[in-house]
Amino acid sequence: MTDLRPSTSASPRRSYGRRNFLSLGLGLGTIITLSACTPSDTEPLPEGGDPVQGGVLTYFEPQTWTLLYPPSVGFYPNGGIMNNISARLLWQDPETLELHPWLATTLPEINENATQYTFTIRDGVTYSDGSPLTAENVAANFDLFGRGDEARTLPVSEQISNYESSEVLDENRVRFHFSAPSPGFAQATSTMNAGLLADSTLGLDAEGFGPGGATGIHTCGPFHITEETIGTKLSVRVREDYDWAPPHLEHQGRAHLDGIDYLANNEYSVRIGAVLSGQADGVRDVEAPDEARVSEQGLRLYAKATNGINNSINFRFRHELLADLRVRQAIIAAVDRQEIVDKLFTPNYPLATGLLAKGAMGYKDQSGSWVHDPEEANRLLDEAGWSERNAAGFRTKDGQILELTVNIALPQPRSNEVQTLIQQQLRHVGVRLSINPGDQSKQTLDARDLDTVQIYHSMVARADFDNLRSNYSSVNRDVFLNGKDRDDAADESIDPEIDRLLDELASEPVTAKRQTAAEKVQDYLVANAYVLPFFEEPQVFSFRRRVHGFATEPVGRPDFYSTWLTGGQ
Amino acid sequence: MSLIDSFARTSGTGAPRPAAKRRSRTRASIGPATIISGLVLLIAVAWALFPGLFTHHDPNDGGTTPALLAPSLDHWFGTDQTGRDAFTRVVYGASQSLLAALVAVGVGLVVGTAIGLIAGTRRGWVDDVLMRLVDVLLSIPAILLSLSIVVVLGFGTINAAIAVGVTAIAQFARLSRSEAVRINTSDFVAAAYGSGGTFFSVLFRHILPNSTSPVLSLAVLQIGSAILQISTLGFLGYGTPPPTPEWGLIIAEGRNFVATAWWLTVLPGFVVMAIVLATHQIGNTLRKATS
Amino acid sequence: MILDIRYLFLRLGQAVLVLLLAFTAAFILLSLIPGDGVTARFADPALGLSADQIAAIRSETGADESWISRYFISLGGFLTGDFGFSVQTGAAVSTIIAAALPSTAVLALSGFVSALVLAVLIAVLATYGPYRWLRKLLDSVPSLFISIPVFWLGILLIQFFSFRLGFVSVVSPGPAEALVLPTLTVAVPLSAPIAQVLIRSITDVRASGFVKVTSAKGASELWILVHAVARNAVLPGLTIIGLVFGELVAGAVVTETVFGRNGIGQITAQAVTHRDNPILLTVVVIATLAYVTINLIVDLLYPVIDVRLRTAPGATSAGKKPADEPTRRALSTTAASVGVDLAWDEKDTHS
Repeated sequence: MTDLRPSTSASPRRSYGRRNFLSLGLGLGTIITLSACTPSDTEPLPEGGDPVQGGVLTYFEPQTWTLLYPPSVGFYPNGGIMNNISARLLWQDPETLELHPWLATTLPEINENATQYTFTIRDGVTYSDGSPLTAENVAANFDLFGRGDEARTLPVSEQISNYESSEVLDENRVRFHFSAPSPGFAQATSTMNAGLLADSTLGLDAEGFGPGGATGIHTCGPFHITEETIGTKLSVRVREDYDWAPPHLEHQGRAHLDGIDYLANNEYSVRIGAVLSGQADGVRDVEAPDEARVSEQGLRLYAKATNGINNSINFRFRHELLADLRVRQAIIAAVDRQEIVDKLFTPNYPLATGLLAKGAMGYKDQSGSWVHDPEEANRLLDEAGWSERNAAGFRTKDGQILELTVNIALPQPRSNEVQTLIQQQLRHVGVRLSINPGDQSKQTLDARDLDTVQIYHSMVARADFDNLRSNYSSVNRDVFLNGKDRDDAADESIDPEIDRLLDELASEPVTAKRQTAAEKVQDYLVANAYVLPFFEEPQVFSFRRRVHGFATEPVGRPDFYSTWLTGGQ
Repeated sequence: MSLIDSFARTSGTGAPRPAAKRRSRTRASIGPATIISGLVLLIAVAWALFPGLFTHHDPNDGGTTPALLAPSLDHWFGTDQTGRDAFTRVVYGASQSLLAALVAVGVGLVVGTAIGLIAGTRRGWVDDVLMRLVDVLLSIPAILLSLSIVVVLGFGTINAAIAVGVTAIAQFARLSRSEAVRINTSDFVAAAYGSGGTFFSVLFRHILPNSTSPVLSLAVLQIGSAILQISTLGFLGYGTPPPTPEWGLIIAEGRNFVATAWWLTVLPGFVVMAIVLATHQIGNTLRKATS
Repeated sequence: MILDIRYLFLRLGQAVLVLLLAFTAAFILLSLIPGDGVTARFADPALGLSADQIAAIRSETGADESWISRYFISLGGFLTGDFGFSVQTGAAVSTIIAAALPSTAVLALSGFVSALVLAVLIAVLATYGPYRWLRKLLDSVPSLFISIPVFWLGILLIQFFSFRLGFVSVVSPGPAEALVLPTLTVAVPLSAPIAQVLIRSITDVRASGFVKVTSAKGASELWILVHAVARNAVLPGLTIIGLVFGELVAGAVVTETVFGRNGIGQITAQAVTHRDNPILLTVVVIATLAYVTINLIVDLLYPVIDVRLRTAPGATSAGKKPADEPTRRALSTTAASVGVDLAWDEKDTHS
């Protein structure tokens, strides 16, 4: 078992099966490694050149898509499809995050307190079922996204708040009314969660948007769904008549590619192997430890910023063990964020300098707020009364152990390993951290229970100020479990200031003032040591060398409109 | 239920051999294969008891060692995705994996044998009811059964082991029942009842002792099966939660890097194969010795 | 008397009972799982729904009804052929299963046939191979095959044969191409018990000396051997068919996950992750149905084949009753351990 020399099992002597198979297997392993570099992949990566039309791109996702109902496409495999088949009223520049017209001819007219939005719709746009884009149709889309339909188990879009009604003004104009200021609405119309649907599609129920129904989903983006193999593959093909790209883009008319085949395979080794061997063109979710080897073997590596809330842990202050500010501050001081980033990740995962990523709207630099200082941590904990230690070296107070549980954020990169490192770091100051084991459903369910999960690991991306509200507000994701009427926490333990500041942000129509409001929220959360951000989370893609012009929308979903393949068809 | 069980059954555990007189096969032969297997198991047990004697690395903390290093003199199996020594993790994994396998087999053995003996001794409606329940256990796909049990019991090595053990209950119940039926109809049991033995006294004095050897050799064969099934649970994400070193988890975590660092899954895989093969060899030798 | 009608009905009744019990047991087991699929799906942070919105959806989907009423609702549904809707995607369970079943059936069939071929190959070489070391080596191959973690095998097969050697593609392969590696993955562990039975049968037949005697009388050795071995091996073979079905489900879960095949196995694994009980219940019912059907057929075939074999040519010259008895005893134990009752073993029947 310790002989690692490659062995050719050419001369089988009088030995027993196991030995021979061992050496045979080792030989096999060697062949795997030796044949890993194909000669054609050692030239420098070609860049630039004129786009070529044609060719179908094959692209691997870790999971199959689940639902192509636009408000539900926050799930990556759904979003990667919806972003390419749908068009939206507005287009958000992934670099500057500025909004530009797309299916709307201009930016919307907004009343003073942001309760009315008026859009003028472009002419000549058709859905993939041939039906035209009209003001009525746009109104019907937002009536569904803004209100949801519980009878059809179609949830409301989390990005659209205070939606009241739509009003068709004339053939090309539609106005949306809100019960309270909704300054995030313009940006919400630009995301794939507001991808417009044909009238025939708007009538579908959750089943119709699910697997088996994909070819019945009609949209007006550069690609449309042509073929579905449930569970494994979805094919989209170019729309030759697509002529309504955002005017801001240089590229107009049809997409360069003939189509995209979205493939799903749970096995990372198969996905990355398929791209390395040239069987597939691209893959999302390259693991950080693999980045160097993947580049070495001649693939293009793209780390795309997601411009959202950073990968962080949130301290649920309503739990008795975390109610004391000094305990939260101590945990923050005990964690060495630099070690996490250096040990587990690559430079594509920059150390967080604020609650938000540098590219996010509302970003504020707070880089001095989280200093690694174990001595300070010990001092704070002693001061907070956790000065006794039990036999295992963990701090106790009145016989109670300072023990907290953190969830594993399975969609986030290496969450379990991040938590394992933090577990070791906290052990040095006598704090016991348990990692809640379990699959996706268990993590989701346990995270809603204060008694089970007190430290919540998460990340969320949306390129708008409203992202803060989506994440921290007690009526949205509620990372702190700061809502009323909980069985596991008394109402007086609520911190009402968080929701108040978020409401202030959500109802502020003027952009400059929104920045100030967003900074106030962040200042408050940082001052109270409610959050510890780790790094800016990218989406890491890998593509074969023949793939050019790959881009993503503002939160890192693939955008294949201007992608092209060397040699085309 | 796993293939290894059916394999054990088809190799004739507990059944009289069809052709009674054959050289080399009827006698317990301690050949070189058995000796090597014994050594392999001995090493595995030593790893479980004294892991520190076999390696000087830390199984859970790679320190500043780079990740995904190729095998070398210092790192026999290379280093894993966080720079931990892969061989060290295999060594430290022995205690978890062997313990889990023993728990799994124990659950199947105790519960299954109890059901089988009662059914085979009592007969009548008790037998019918118990055997229909065993049918139900057999008819629900084992993998689905064990996954659901893990979710119900909670994630962890021992719970995964129990889940695997439940799927083995039917095997043990079937085998011990047929043994009990065979013994129950024999003359000495009739004599025991005749001389005033109660149900339980006969069960414990005659039937249980007489049915142990086939059941025990099945148990040894099951150890290998349990190791494989627990590793399958690890592959699907329902086995030992990381970072505890456990063989199934080590192979399952390493597989992600098979395209770029094949040794992380291939070498621990060989270790597990060698150990499963060894338990199998020993189990067969035991079976031959007792039949 | 080969087929007893009363016995047939009894067995049918038992099969239906097992089906109902399996459904109930699965339902209870799944009800014990903390939390439900509806909450797990809609509380997913990717959706960003509030607690009130989730509660509304729960009541809409009936997730908050008592488990007793949900039991009777789904039992009624199953009896009328309505399997309900997937909690995770909202698609009809029947649609999802219908899309997945053929792929699994094809994989199971090709895996089984390949296992058979592989087993015969191993058995023949292990008994008639040219060198002693080769025979020894092949004799241990079944043990080796049964010791390989299946997922590990599948992953290495892909890396080696697809990614390195380029023999088959895993991306949009043709129907036959898509089957090669998964079939091999399923067949390797499956061939082990079959090969073991064959090796034993051949060894037994050769050791009995009757082949030599009959061939001395002028019959072809091969012809006699094939007949004699078939006589010995058909019943264990049937037993194996009965038992491998359950194995195929387990094998399918792993193989389909590794190869990204949309089959019952992969759906099962994902349904567990998503607490998608309607799908899991349907899988249990289908698996149980297949299991009881196959075993019923195997069970009913036993006496038929047994009688035929005993009257077959060659059987009379070699097949003295006493030689049969241990084989039957061995078989009944084997069969019993995998859930088959052998009707002709008087000491061990239920009826």
